[in-house]
Amino acid sequence: MSVAPRMPKCWREESKPHKFCPGCGHGLVLKALGEAIDELGIQDKVVFGADIGCSLLAWDFFNCDTVQTHHGRTTPVVTGVKRANPDLVCIAYMGDGGGYAIGSQHLFNAAARNERILAVLVNNTQYGMTGGQMAPTTLPGQKTETSPYGRDIEQAGYPTQGPEAVAAITQDGAYVARGTVANLRQLKGFLKKALENQMAGNGFSFVEALSTCPTNWRTNAAKTWEFVEKEMTKYFKVGEIKAPGQKKEA
Amino acid sequence: MQRLVEAYIGEYASGKSENAINRAIELARQGRKVTLVDLDLVEPFYTLRPIQDELRQLGIDVVAWETRNTMGLGEAGNILKPEMKWVLRREGDIIMDIGYGVEGAKTLNLVEGALTDPDLKVFAVINVSRPMTFSIPDIIEHVQGMGLVQGLLNNTHLGDDTTADVIEAGAEVVAEAARLLNLPVVATSVDERLAAHFPGGVDRLGHPVRILRRFMPKAFW
Amino acid sequence: MAEKPIQGERKAFLTGNEVVAYAAVAGEADIMYGYPITPQNEIMHYWTRMAPKYGKRFLQTEDELSAGFTTLGGVLSGAKAFTATAGPGNTLMQEPMSMAEMMRIPAVFVIQQRGGPSTATVIYSQQEVTMTTYGGNGEGFRVVYSTATHQDLFDYTIKAFNTAWKYRFPTFVLGDGYQAKMRESVTIYDPQARGIELIKPTPYLGKPGSIGKDREVTHMRNTYNTEEELYEVVMSMAKEYDSVAPEIVEFDAREVDDAEIVIVSHGVVSRAALSAMLELRGAGYKVGYFRPVTLRPFPGDQLRKVADNAKRLLVVESALGQFNKLVQTNIYGSAATIDTIFKPGVGVTSEEIVAKIKATL
Repeated sequence: MSVAPRMPKCWREESKPHKFCPGCGHGLVLKALGEAIDELGIQDKVVFGADIGCSLLAWDFFNCDTVQTHHGRTTPVVTGVKRANPDLVCIAYMGDGGGYAIGSQHLFNAAARNERILAVLVNNTQYGMTGGQMAPTTLPGQKTETSPYGRDIEQAGYPTQGPEAVAAITQDGAYVARGTVANLRQLKGFLKKALENQMAGNGFSFVEALSTCPTNWRTNAAKTWEFVEKEMTKYFKVGEIKAPGQKKEA
Repeated sequence: MQRLVEAYIGEYASGKSENAINRAIELARQGRKVTLVDLDLVEPFYTLRPIQDELRQLGIDVVAWETRNTMGLGEAGNILKPEMKWVLRREGDIIMDIGYGVEGAKTLNLVEGALTDPDLKVFAVINVSRPMTFSIPDIIEHVQGMGLVQGLLNNTHLGDDTTADVIEAGAEVVAEAARLLNLPVVATSVDERLAAHFPGGVDRLGHPVRILRRFMPKAFW
Repeated sequence: MAEKPIQGERKAFLTGNEVVAYAAVAGEADIMYGYPITPQNEIMHYWTRMAPKYGKRFLQTEDELSAGFTTLGGVLSGAKAFTATAGPGNTLMQEPMSMAEMMRIPAVFVIQQRGGPSTATVIYSQQEVTMTTYGGNGEGFRVVYSTATHQDLFDYTIKAFNTAWKYRFPTFVLGDGYQAKMRESVTIYDPQARGIELIKPTPYLGKPGSIGKDREVTHMRNTYNTEEELYEVVMSMAKEYDSVAPEIVEFDAREVDDAEIVIVSHGVVSRAALSAMLELRGAGYKVGYFRPVTLRPFPGDQLRKVADNAKRLLVVESALGQFNKLVQTNIYGSAATIDTIFKPGVGVTSEEIVAKIKATL
């Protein structure tokens, strides 16, 4: 598998260049997702749900049917679509605030019910669109607009371990992985497996992608990659966490 | 005197409470000692709770919650009152009003000794005007789904729109379902307003008629 | 699998919640999404009892936010989808309802009003009028039918699906805890046997065919960038709502022509109002009766004429003036005076209405 430099076929040319900031990881995640959709030939069957936050900029990103929803509510909208028409391939695309804070009850209950959907969650350690506030995924000590002295774990706890939590509450048939925009080939592989898992009707699929936000991190290219690869991976382990047929970790 | 232990079960809004109340009153009038138990665990509306004092004045011992002793009915759930669990230890007749629910007669598991009581009779109350029991196959499926049932009670009516014909037509359907289930029809219930249409105390098929005085409209909450 | 729960028509003895479930099946709803809350639970209980027999689906969600949003998802995929809630659940569901308004998603919501504010009681009220007609951060682009009887619940639940899919505004059946739990006889029927055409739903998303060849891609949003852009969207929606409102509006007016006072009420309270009117008429009082069936859109022109004519209204409701606000707004400019009976969270009897009118006339 390789990541080609050209645009995925299912991207919508009219909405390119896209509206994400330079250096933003969203474009990379959406590229990996687009190529996975292309390789599976499912463009016509995809229903893509875009959450609020920077995710909403993806509302016209694909030449796939798309609905932009409310903050945190993409998981239930997409669940509702899938329940009424199981032939569709349903993707809920959200950020860390949408998935782990305001919509956490939806994410975790969809996981517990083994909904046959794919949730893709982009983790960039803060609320990008509202101006860089603390998110459930903000690293200990990390400064944001609402943690100006750095995230205090006494006050705000540790970063949410989303995929680990989802893996713990899903049954066999679920697919759970954490990828990173620093390894796009691997991320695409996770997303493709997750889509195949949905199409096979196995169960809930969840992929968190470690992503970049140079704008709110105020980092140059080198520092941006350093943060993703060195700082974020201290707390967020990249890899496949659960796949159908795998034995649960002890 | 032979002790009577009767449980009235059946579909939602089939008339279990009304029949249980009237049966208890009938027995009390015969000078028997009667305890009426409210075992509705699903539905906080239309239970014996609001009318228990009135029933006590008619000489029945009633085991039910007092509204003032409950909190957030329908919000906190329906709670089994400890006295209900031990009600079969009481002397005299016991009439149990079992609420609806997918578990049917299983509610009796909550009453200590009920299912092993040699005197226990479980009667299913059937109103053929309820869509879930419109037809003979519906009734058979419904009765078989409730577990232990020892007799059917025809309580077919349409509220204020009931006529004697509605009741008689219901009796025919219930009788046929009972025959196929190999169960007796214990009675046909008739609103007191229509009692004159059943002068012999039996319906057209010969089932004994129980005249119902309606208490439940007052029992809304 | 049985095809239809009701062949032809038949009288049945039912609670209001059951009536809604039977009507939803008769009206060819495909899927219900729901979260338990009293007093609407039996809608789910009976829908789930019938679902496997008639090829219907059900999803019990984690809360009312999810019940509302999954309902929208179901509609987007082309299913006739609905949900039911009450009180605090209605509060939570205002969020998905506002998305349905903005995106013209024809979802059907059944509301069985209970006491408020907060958890209050599970019993009864008409205190969800403001929230159901104008809730959420929106402009009330909704259709709200306020039912009074079990027959209404049956008829308007079926109608709600047609209204929603015809006009593409979220549509509400506004009942209450009394109606939910009351038992009375009702004629249930197969709408097609009565010549009622049931509108077939069509998908918004995931239509068949290949994108770019057989069909266009669909992108739906509820977010806009500029004030001007939003203004255009809202005003065009308002224009469309206003243009179809006269077709949607329903009301029941009786004995208003020579009335010196008209009782104005909605929902289950209008049953008491009707019997009060009939009793007073029987005693020679010139009393009229006006009941909006649709609270959104409101029969404002019709009520204003009645008010101008009678010069006196008695507004009766089981809330502290929520319905009266709709009345006052809609008859603004009329010289009629308004008397009121407001009983928040409590039922109203015809005796109270009769006594009030006798005392004032």
